[in-house]
Amino acid sequence: MNEMMIETRNLTKKYKGTRAVDALNLAIPRGEIYGFLGPNGAGKTTTIRMLLGLIRPSSGVVQIFGQDLKRDRIKILRRVGSLVEYPSYYGHLNAVENLETIRRILNVPKTRIDEVLHTVGLTKDAKRHVKGYSLGMKQRLGIAAALLGSPELLILDEPTNGLDPSGILEIRELIKKMPQEQGITVLVSSHLLSEIEQMASSVGIVNQGKMIFQDSISNLQRKAGSEIHIALSDAEAAMITVREQGCFARLDQGKLIFKGIDDGQIARLVSALVDARHSIYRVEERRKSLEDLFLTMTSGASGSASEIAAIGSGAPRGAGLRKEVAQ
Amino acid sequence: MNTWISALRSERIKLGRSQILLLAVFAPLISMLIGFLANLDSAGSEAEAWEGLLLAMSMLHAMFFLPMMTGIFSAFVCRYEHAGGGWKQILSLPVSRSALYMAKLLTVAGALALSQLLFSVGLLIVGAVKGFDLGSVPWDVLSARLIGGFVACLPLAALQLFVSTMWSSFAAPLVLNMIFTVPNILIANSATFGPYYPWVQPLLAMLPSGGGYDFGAFSLPFENLMITVGGSFVLFLAAGLIYFVRKPV
Repeated sequence: MNEMMIETRNLTKKYKGTRAVDALNLAIPRGEIYGFLGPNGAGKTTTIRMLLGLIRPSSGVVQIFGQDLKRDRIKILRRVGSLVEYPSYYGHLNAVENLETIRRILNVPKTRIDEVLHTVGLTKDAKRHVKGYSLGMKQRLGIAAALLGSPELLILDEPTNGLDPSGILEIRELIKKMPQEQGITVLVSSHLLSEIEQMASSVGIVNQGKMIFQDSISNLQRKAGSEIHIALSDAEAAMITVREQGCFARLDQGKLIFKGIDDGQIARLVSALVDARHSIYRVEERRKSLEDLFLTMTSGASGSASEIAAIGSGAPRGAGLRKEVAQ
Repeated sequence: MNTWISALRSERIKLGRSQILLLAVFAPLISMLIGFLANLDSAGSEAEAWEGLLLAMSMLHAMFFLPMMTGIFSAFVCRYEHAGGGWKQILSLPVSRSALYMAKLLTVAGALALSQLLFSVGLLIVGAVKGFDLGSVPWDVLSARLIGGFVACLPLAALQLFVSTMWSSFAAPLVLNMIFTVPNILIANSATFGPYYPWVQPLLAMLPSGGGYDFGAFSLPFENLMITVGGSFVLFLAAGLIYFVRKPV
């Protein structure tokens, strides 16, 4: 139990004095879907490149399957499948030929090609030139390539980047099946909290190269806390009833807002309010959104107002963060 | 060793399905055309006629086609890896970087060998059509020059592969190659620089010695040229390998 698939100690990468990755301690147990979360430019891809031996760490240790990456790189990579940033493909070849170039290096039986194509749902398009594929299909081919060697560990960097909603859904379902059906441990990075929330079982949040949170996704959600909002006819008068019940509410735009109350209390409150002839329109639970939580965590580390704005708002995020990458 | 072979077999698919190998066919065809047009009536003996034909056909082939093809093949084997994160994918596979680099170099060498082989076949066909005696083919001279021409491409292949892995553009190494190939005709005349100039080495190796070609770098004995070729190959290969093994991807 709790065997670590990936473990890094004080992993650091310096580029001209700035630390792209700063003393990072990753710990990913077997069978998890580990969400690696952070804004673009936080050091996610740099970390993943170090995990795969594509770049050398300035200092620190990477251990995968308990083996030192520096010493046993080839042996480790044999058991790892990866997709870093963009799916790479040979456009003049079809899907089978593309996978064949990789199969020859991995030395696995030819039947694996059909199996992985089936897994990602590309069997029908297997004989088409990859040039003509949609982005979602290319991404699925990339995942097929990563799965080809029957890896125990799958490392996916932003696998849903640039996909449309149905593409995102497909990839997400694919990833969620991995640990159950094939016993694969998955490291998946994203800059979207909602993405990670929907597939990961544990999560690590990085910002400016530093790990600011690493725990199970449920602990992250617990940390986020929740509120009960009750919308009703006369909120101000209802405050008195609430107080009689021994609860404390905040009044906000004709709604009563409760923090940290349990189910029994809610039931008693509602019946008391009904008895007091209030019309109750709506009782809803509102979790403090993880986006807000993420914001408080990351802003604590950076303190830069513009960056917070870029993370906080949904749509302009891409533009704001692309600038960071360019730096 | 196993991973070398797997990497090589992987390279073969990428090259095999592309049209780039047509180049290796195209260049000998042009040389054959030149061979047909050449006037070799002045040759004294049959052997001299064959050497004359080799001279006529090698001029453009060795001076221009071989260095250009070397540059194009070298750039081509890196092309797909440079496009869209291909290096990341291939270097995340369980293959050592040196094995991959050598596989790419061997692929380039293989394509050049194919072209040189077709050139040899073309030479024999042209000679036969012109009515030269196939029984008096000077095999020793021809094979030395044809194999020598191929071997003399290898330092350039190592150099161009080094540049092609370094620059992510497909065109940049080709432009560099073109710029250094054009002055070949001048550099061949220099006994000092010629032998060390990788772009002109195929020409020096392929032209038969003697006859009118005893000036400039052409007067260098074949053996000495091969020593220079071997030395520069080792140098460029080592530089390329050291760079590639440490290259951040």
